[in-house]
Amino acid sequence: MVEFSTEVVNTIVSAAALLGAGFAMIAGIGPGIGQGFAAGKAVESVARDPEARGNIITTMLLGQAVAESTGIYSLVIALYLIFVVFGV
Amino acid sequence: MLEPGPQELYYFMGNESLPITDTLIVSWILLILLVLVSRWITSNMSLKPGKAQNIAELIVSTIEDQIEDMLPGEGRNLLPFIATIFVYIGFSNLVVLLPGVPSPSTDLNLTLGLAAVVFMVSHYYGMKEKGILGYAKGFAEPVIFMLPINVVSELAKPISHSFRLFGNMVGASIILGLIYMAAPWMIPVPLHAWFDLFVGVIQAFIYGMIAIVYISVAKD
Repeated sequence: MVEFSTEVVNTIVSAAALLGAGFAMIAGIGPGIGQGFAAGKAVESVARDPEARGNIITTMLLGQAVAESTGIYSLVIALYLIFVVFGV
Repeated sequence: MLEPGPQELYYFMGNESLPITDTLIVSWILLILLVLVSRWITSNMSLKPGKAQNIAELIVSTIEDQIEDMLPGEGRNLLPFIATIFVYIGFSNLVVLLPGVPSPSTDLNLTLGLAAVVFMVSHYYGMKEKGILGYAKGFAEPVIFMLPINVVSELAKPISHSFRLFGNMVGASIILGLIYMAAPWMIPVPLHAWFDLFVGVIQAFIYGMIAIVYISVAKD
């Protein structure tokens, strides 16, 4: 079995943390598609019924905020990897 | 420099375990200012409102209408709670527009604390509506095997609620910090309008709206 010095291990962990942060942000695709879909449907609804514009925008924002949470989770994981794991 | 989260500035009576962070200082100053300004606006109200009273009335009536939409009949009861959340989060998001002032909402302690308050208020309303036993029984619907899943999904609510605001504000501050490194002149100005003004106000609005949604979900 090969023994690595602490320095080498720390370098590998730091590199893996930055790589992992990059990979985590692939999750940004999901909220992008979801929010775009919600906005598109909202535009259709406003075009069909311009009277209900305020209500539709409120509902759209709420739905987009909920759809966003997976993206925010990945962002938090990426931040954790960069600022906590990488700094060690 | 880009590191998010609170900075420990002083220690309370020299005690290392009681740090006084920048979040604490900024949010206390913000609270005192909000109370003083609110008292000043409402001290001489008239039937012909001036500018300040107009803005205050607009905020109050908009929030009350939103609550009435989702929780009919509760507008007056919940208005102080939701409006406090909205105004406080809104101003703590906007305070970054002053140079050198950190935003309290980039601190997970603040967002998680407010989300915990919303969590408790929503359960209180649920218990008031259906009684404690009736409310507890609601977690075992439709079959008893759903109990652990329902409990976990209930506990996930304050986490997603707080992380949404925290992630948005920290993400914005990191992007702005990177842009200040690359291009410190002129270019950050429109980005401040987007990340601080637009995203800040929208996130404060969403934070309040989701608090209303959680309360209305717990009620029925």
